[in-house]
Amino acid sequence: MSKERKETLAVEDTWPIGAYMYKGPKLYNEIVEGFKRKKIIASLCTGCGRVFFPPRNICGRCWRKIDARREVSDVGTITSFTISPEIKRGQVKVLGLDPVEAGIVKDGERLIMVYVNFDGTDTNYATVLLNAKPEEVHVGMRVKAVWKEKPEGLLSDMEGVEPIRKESTQ
Amino acid sequence: MGVRRVAIVGYAQTKHQWDMPKTREDMVFEVAKGAAEMAGVTREEIDTVINASSDYLDGRTISELFLTMPSGAYLKDYTKTEMDGAFAALYGVMKILAGTHDVALIVANTQGSTFNPHQVSYHMLDPTFDRQLKVLNDMAIAAIQARMYMDKYGVAEEEVAMVSVKNLWCAAKNPNAHRKMPGVTVEDVLGSKMLYEPIRELMMSPVSDGACAVVLASEEKARKLTDNPVWIEGVGSSQDFYVRDRNLQRLEALEKAARRAYRMAGIKDPFAEIDVAEVTERYAHEELMIYEALGFCEEGKARRLVDNYVTWLGGQMPVNPSGGALGADPITATGLIRIVEAAKQIRGEAGAYQVPEVRRALAHGQAGICAQSNIVFILGGEE
Amino acid sequence: MWRNVAVIGVGQTKHGRRRDVNTAEMISEAAWRAIEDAEIAPEDIDAIVIGNMQGFGGICQAELWAGDWIGAPGKSVLRVATGGTTGGSVAQAAMYSVISGLYDVVLAIGFEKHSDSKEPGATTGLAHVGLANLFYMFNYGAPMRALFALSGGVGAAAGVSSYQAMFYMHRSGCRIEHYDMVAAKSRRNAAKNEYAHLQWPNCTPDDIAKTPMVAYPLRFGHICPASDGASAIIVASEEIARRVDRPAWVKGLAACADEENQMGENAQGVGILDTSEQLQCRIAAMKAYEMAKIRNPREEIDVAEIYQPFPHQELMYAEKLMLFDDGKAWIALEEGETEIDGRIPIDPSGGVLSTNAIGSSAMQRVAECALQIMGKAGKHQVPKDVKNAVAHGWGGSTNFTVVTVLGDAPRR
Repeated sequence: MSKERKETLAVEDTWPIGAYMYKGPKLYNEIVEGFKRKKIIASLCTGCGRVFFPPRNICGRCWRKIDARREVSDVGTITSFTISPEIKRGQVKVLGLDPVEAGIVKDGERLIMVYVNFDGTDTNYATVLLNAKPEEVHVGMRVKAVWKEKPEGLLSDMEGVEPIRKESTQ
Repeated sequence: MGVRRVAIVGYAQTKHQWDMPKTREDMVFEVAKGAAEMAGVTREEIDTVINASSDYLDGRTISELFLTMPSGAYLKDYTKTEMDGAFAALYGVMKILAGTHDVALIVANTQGSTFNPHQVSYHMLDPTFDRQLKVLNDMAIAAIQARMYMDKYGVAEEEVAMVSVKNLWCAAKNPNAHRKMPGVTVEDVLGSKMLYEPIRELMMSPVSDGACAVVLASEEKARKLTDNPVWIEGVGSSQDFYVRDRNLQRLEALEKAARRAYRMAGIKDPFAEIDVAEVTERYAHEELMIYEALGFCEEGKARRLVDNYVTWLGGQMPVNPSGGALGADPITATGLIRIVEAAKQIRGEAGAYQVPEVRRALAHGQAGICAQSNIVFILGGEE
Repeated sequence: MWRNVAVIGVGQTKHGRRRDVNTAEMISEAAWRAIEDAEIAPEDIDAIVIGNMQGFGGICQAELWAGDWIGAPGKSVLRVATGGTTGGSVAQAAMYSVISGLYDVVLAIGFEKHSDSKEPGATTGLAHVGLANLFYMFNYGAPMRALFALSGGVGAAAGVSSYQAMFYMHRSGCRIEHYDMVAAKSRRNAAKNEYAHLQWPNCTPDDIAKTPMVAYPLRFGHICPASDGASAIIVASEEIARRVDRPAWVKGLAACADEENQMGENAQGVGILDTSEQLQCRIAAMKAYEMAKIRNPREEIDVAEIYQPFPHQELMYAEKLMLFDDGKAWIALEEGETEIDGRIPIDPSGGVLSTNAIGSSAMQRVAECALQIMGKAGKHQVPKDVKNAVAHGWGGSTNFTVVTVLGDAPRR
């Protein structure tokens, strides 16, 4: 199956990648178990005292295994963010999907993606900011996790984070 | 070799197996820490870390990205070579010879169970022509090579099978080996599944998960760390022409690599001056061709060394007392494991497969189809 | 022990969309140009170091096939790859090869052929950096929206970088307009570089500002292209280098790796709160400068080639390379100090922002510094005496850094 072009001959081939068997630890079992109870379970390195969420099983700094756990708050601070332009139907494919067709975003929605540093951790957690306008998001914004009504023990139990709105005092 | 000398002062390897119940990260952590512990060095004392892993085999672009922390590379000089781990060891030697580093940690790993390596070999072929035929891979080409070699020198199937028996018999004594087949016979090998005529399953290395780590040190540092350093007396490497354009009947690149290593180590008669050899034989017939390329015998005479038990454990020139690649082949780690096994022989740590009184050993690693690229190390114990 | 080595020849292909050559032909273009530039014969080369991102062009260990095209048979060949800074790591491997005394003349090549892959540019290959992690998260029911968040909606390098661009803006107080300025400068400089990809002679920050926002704060005009190309250098021992008019001496080299920056194996967490901190870059720079006996980089470095596929990285890394105080690089940019004719020209070649064949990009930084010292940079030669130049590269998820210092005289 070659095509004639001016300077070269083009030959097609595929790079079949469907046959990989990746290996993973059971580390996330603990996260989803915690999510089911609307709790965040982080891992703690007793060598340097750093708290990781998402958890980690080897601390590079100390060069040792991390086996301690700590429950941390589901309230945190936005350390960085990025905002997509308006995502319209048929405009773009990400990871092979049309985001609007797949129901991931509404037509014309701008996705606000944030790094959240949950209180007590030394890491950033990447997630989406809900119930907020793009103009509102800023570094330093205080946010709280948005949990599903009935968590099922999946990562999707935490739907994202939302701003902590101060009550009006007037 | 130059003003500075480099020694192996510590090493570790996993128990190689199919589908190891450990993640890559844990596997690498185990060997990296193990090697450092054996060498008696803290993480602070390690100056540079070199990883060897293959993106294609791991199914991850920048396959070493998540292995840096388990390898102990946090805030350290770091790099990755993407071929057999023995080449990473060469790079470590160069960094120490340069005088810029004193201690190098080399870590090589592959979990072969992640993706069929024989499928990967297909992607090494010329994409504009050879790949379009869709019939070639490393096994097919090795079979063609085996047929050429066996016909040219009248080598019988049984003689090739003897190489497998020799190595698998040794592998049964090696606690780290993948294949454990004590008492395997020529009949067993000739009765194993036919892959590409004349190559049968037991004539080919298994697909293994495994990792290996080595600590290299400059002379000054090595003397502080151990009474039993293993010196790197010579190293040589060479790449052959692309598979379609080279002479498949001989391992010419290995011949060149060996010659360079011998010259550096001052070896004139390899058969007489080397006490044991650990080579990377992905196919049983390949080991015969390796004897000839290393100068252990004349062309075509390699089968005599096997028939007459010369290269068996207990013979004059034991080759692969650890079982070689036929015993365990975690691809990217295999050449580095050969270096470790050769070092173990010198230090007297090889247990049930120890060769007596080893003063000098040879270790060989390869990359590419049918040993296109080769590297040879000559290791020596204290005088 | 250390012995002095120098870059004695440089060769590059035109970078861009090269459908007129296959990978082997492309590599040989750069290799042969470097050999001719160094005025040596192919037989003089003892060893070859080569690298690229394997998955991108769909060829595993391309040097096994393409080696025949660059005189590899019979020589020692080493393959090195470290993500974005592959070219820089390849160059350093070649340097260590000669410094070690094992080899006297080494050819180093970095290359990439993005257009051979069906998917746009680097997206497919780069997605595979974290694909296993994504599959792992899918296994635990990760919502797609969260995966968008991980990839910044655009995937891989752009994803990590858009967050990083925000970190840098927050820490330094710069504005998006400064990113527009960096990008415009890159396009203008690239127009003076015959081998660069995106060339725009009179590009202004406004031209860049008109391009659509891709992932705030990065605009389309801020993002590097996915180029095809190869670049090569010849590294030689002092004895051989002295036969050449003006070799570019290797005075200092260092590399350093930090924690992954965004996520570890199988989506594990990373203890880095500000990805613009880049501690490992600072460490690598300190080591390289110390080797080169450069005590005041701000005064002593005459030109810098920084690996900046995204504009904030030019500013951020310039600071980590100690050319400016933390958070102040944008002021120097405003005052024109980093223009080709400025006090400290940065990326006079246009840099990675305008030309990005990943395996080649970090090699080009070393090659460009060598060209500047040798006086061979043609239209983008900086109009000043170049005594010391620093080449930088980042790889992985911006957690590997490689720094090389070249000069017009060997290490004292």
